[in-house]
Amino acid sequence: MPFIKNCRVLVRHEVAPGHYRLGLRAPEIAREAKPGQFCMIQVAQGFHPFLRRPMSFERIFADGVSILFKVEGEGTRILADCAPDQEFSVQGPLGRGFPLDMEAERHIIVAGGIGVAPFPALAEGIIRACGRAPEVVLAARSQDLLLCDKEFQQMGCAVHLATDDGSVGDQATAVEVLERLAPASGSCIYACGPMRMLAATAALAERLDAACFVSLEAQMACGDGACLGCVVESNFENEGEQMVRVCADGPVFDAKTIHWEAHNYAADR
Amino acid sequence: MMPRLQVNLGGLSMKNPVTVASGTFGYGQEYDRYFDIGLLGAVTTKSISLHPRAGNRPPRLVETAAGMLNAIGLQNVGLEVYLSEKAPFLRERKTPIIANIYGHSPDEYATLADRLEKEGAADAIEANLSCPNVHDAKGGRGPALVAQDPQRVLLYTQAVRSATRLPLLIKLSPNVTDIREPALAAQEGGADAISLINTLMGMAIDPETRRPRLANIVGGLSGPAIRPVALKMVWDVARTVNISVLGMGGICDVGDAIQFLLAGATAVAIGSMTFRQPNVTVNIINGLSEYLDRHNINSIADVVGAVRTD
Repeated sequence: MPFIKNCRVLVRHEVAPGHYRLGLRAPEIAREAKPGQFCMIQVAQGFHPFLRRPMSFERIFADGVSILFKVEGEGTRILADCAPDQEFSVQGPLGRGFPLDMEAERHIIVAGGIGVAPFPALAEGIIRACGRAPEVVLAARSQDLLLCDKEFQQMGCAVHLATDDGSVGDQATAVEVLERLAPASGSCIYACGPMRMLAATAALAERLDAACFVSLEAQMACGDGACLGCVVESNFENEGEQMVRVCADGPVFDAKTIHWEAHNYAADR
Repeated sequence: MMPRLQVNLGGLSMKNPVTVASGTFGYGQEYDRYFDIGLLGAVTTKSISLHPRAGNRPPRLVETAAGMLNAIGLQNVGLEVYLSEKAPFLRERKTPIIANIYGHSPDEYATLADRLEKEGAADAIEANLSCPNVHDAKGGRGPALVAQDPQRVLLYTQAVRSATRLPLLIKLSPNVTDIREPALAAQEGGADAISLINTLMGMAIDPETRRPRLANIVGGLSGPAIRPVALKMVWDVARTVNISVLGMGGICDVGDAIQFLLAGATAVAIGSMTFRQPNVTVNIINGLSEYLDRHNINSIADVVGAVRTD
């Protein structure tokens, strides 16, 4: 059951150029929140920007949550520039989070850029539920944009780094690094990042017979499943189910349900 | 004594003059987790078509200055699923259902209205003659909106009218030169009320990728950005027709709602603002009572059309 609460900013930290972490005091939301779920944050008191901003939970604590985001436009700029102790209206938890497959032999997280946002919470959830840390593939354009690598290492995760320019880790894509880890039947892959990366991850997982869950991002108006603005095309054939809602049916989907070929990759930034 | 907020919208008795705009509230379930939707004067459903519709390809949504553009394309579950899965939930709530319908022909509209009435799944019908986001012609842009052609508005209204005795609302488009012409056509066709406005057609392009932000290229603009346009059109229509008006377009708070009532709307619908504040309708209903107290007015009906232009 989602709440709508005014939540105070407890922590604001620029973790990398243009990337921020906010810690929010939100006990009710935190109590219900699960890894992979998200909240909708109202950024403006006035009517511009009009809509709330969807943000996945980076960490879930006893009395609050943290979010991790990249400044992309006016809404994220306002969040990044918030004053200490400022309050925002936060709605959540929303959506369906990651399934935790206790039987999986290997848990492998694959994050591209700011796509790492939901994974610290998931890694903690996996450690709590399964008693061992997931493997993590972290990819970014360059070393200064790698996020959360220290956090994952502190949790005991084996962290594999990849950068586009080779400034740290392998000069490779996230999917190339993942392939070298040789996931197989019995492995469970969790991926979040650009659509191209997710499509390639899904294809690799299918080829290697590994389970794969992706967390998708979309422009949203409501976050509640009402507006139908955030849909992606699925492989379901029934016309009533062809479009699935990122907010309410996701944001986490079994990669097999997404119709990857239908996405217009040329329109991605 | 009649409750102070009660209104009669073209034969539909509403305990208060606040409903939701079609397409912004699903079939009610999504928002029942935030407040008792039975508090609304009525619930207006997402458009219902004869068969399920997948809608347009994504992206379907982009935020714009003080508002948003959408091109959903009337994705909906279709009549049968509405009847079996959605209507029973709404029926349990203590508020009337305004069923919004969309068809490809006058016959389809008539069939929808007839079935909804016979199944007891609607207390009023709102015929959507004004969705800007549907492509029904094979392979290309569909014909112009029905609501842009007064002759077709007349024909479609007559068709639905002959199929149902439920209060009939005709939802019009602001994308016309003179909103009074389709409003008069709907009245002539037997409508009990006019709903306006649907979204204003608009467009946004990403300068970096040079691509339209919406896969549909164009979409419908909603939110507070369109409120002055909507208010003026409600005022135009309310002075022209002698049937009720359901006013909508960018209403965000009780002050906005009162503006529409003063301009001549018998009731109002809240649209995009629900996305931002799911329980905004309840705040508006409470605010209307406070407004009556503060101005020492007995009934909300006394506010309708009471704009002072002297």
